[in-house]
Amino acid sequence: MIPVIGLAVGIIAGLILQPTVPTALQPYLPIAIVAALDAVIGALRALGERRFDDRVFVVSFISNVLIAALMVYLGDQLGVGSQLSTGVVVVLGIRIFANAAAIRRRIFHA
Amino acid sequence: MLDDEGLLEKIADTALDDDYYVVRARPHDASHRFNTVLTGVVLAAFAVLVAVAAIQTRSERPAAERARESLISDIGSRKTLLADRESRADKLRAEVASLRSSAIGADAELDELRLLAADRAVRGPGLRVVTSPGPTGDITDRDLQRLVNGFWYAGAEAVAVNGQRLGSLTAIRQAGGVIKVNYVATGPPYEIVVLGDADSLQERFEQSAVGRDWLQRRKQAEVTFDMTRSDDLSATAVPKDRLAIRHATAMRGDA
Repeated sequence: MIPVIGLAVGIIAGLILQPTVPTALQPYLPIAIVAALDAVIGALRALGERRFDDRVFVVSFISNVLIAALMVYLGDQLGVGSQLSTGVVVVLGIRIFANAAAIRRRIFHA
Repeated sequence: MLDDEGLLEKIADTALDDDYYVVRARPHDASHRFNTVLTGVVLAAFAVLVAVAAIQTRSERPAAERARESLISDIGSRKTLLADRESRADKLRAEVASLRSSAIGADAELDELRLLAADRAVRGPGLRVVTSPGPTGDITDRDLQRLVNGFWYAGAEAVAVNGQRLGSLTAIRQAGGVIKVNYVATGPPYEIVVLGDADSLQERFEQSAVGRDWLQRRKQAEVTFDMTRSDDLSATAVPKDRLAIRHATAMRGDA
């Protein structure tokens, strides 16, 4: 119950408060979201496999977001920001699809 | 590890964080501590991230579109303005021409000067020369320049190369393997219209160094060179932007 409430509270808070992202952080927001999505889909799969553990989830979420943002930041400083973010998005995208496929197999046994 | 499977397959195979397997290696009956505040907080953070990004993208789009639209309308208005000005300039130019002709009448001297300055179209007798590279030779911009100068020397009043009248600012130049006259690309065969007294033109040209050189080259099959007299040749005026002299210094002298 609490996770669903948290999700709802987050969406409502975001819509009501409408915090503006500092322009310096704006390039990292999309990458951070993709990384966070990877952690969330992974958590869903772990949930289905009865392996979920909230600490692992927290750590993977935070480290995913931070590392993804850090890589893009580093890439920007080195002048290869777009290439590095493409690489990050590709890897995370593959993971998201693989995890989603595992969830699908578990639910539909197919 | 990359020997039997590719990098992408490896990424797909280890899609789930290893930590889940480390913490809970054996299969369990139920997930561990899913319904906790910690999970809720993380999911709330995720939801905020998504909501903020969505709002940001949504609110920024109209601004970008507005800027684009105003730029497009700017371009459109400038284009109409330019067209207006150009048509006005054309009208004024025509007015100037008619005023000039009404003020000074048919001035023979002015007409002659305009003919020599390539300022007006011309029609009359002269030579029509067609030349193109032969099997063993080539025609460069330098050759064309020398040929045209040969005709000037022979007494031509007007010369045009492939329809481009030669004025005082005309350049015959090679650029990227293409010969350009009045900055218009042209190529063989080169049709050179030379206006003037046909008989004396031909005679003087054939006796000049340039003429002898070209006839020699024709004999050696370096070029084809075909010169015919005609009573009715015409050439257009030189383009306006090859005519306007913006800076000039008066020279004292006989010439």
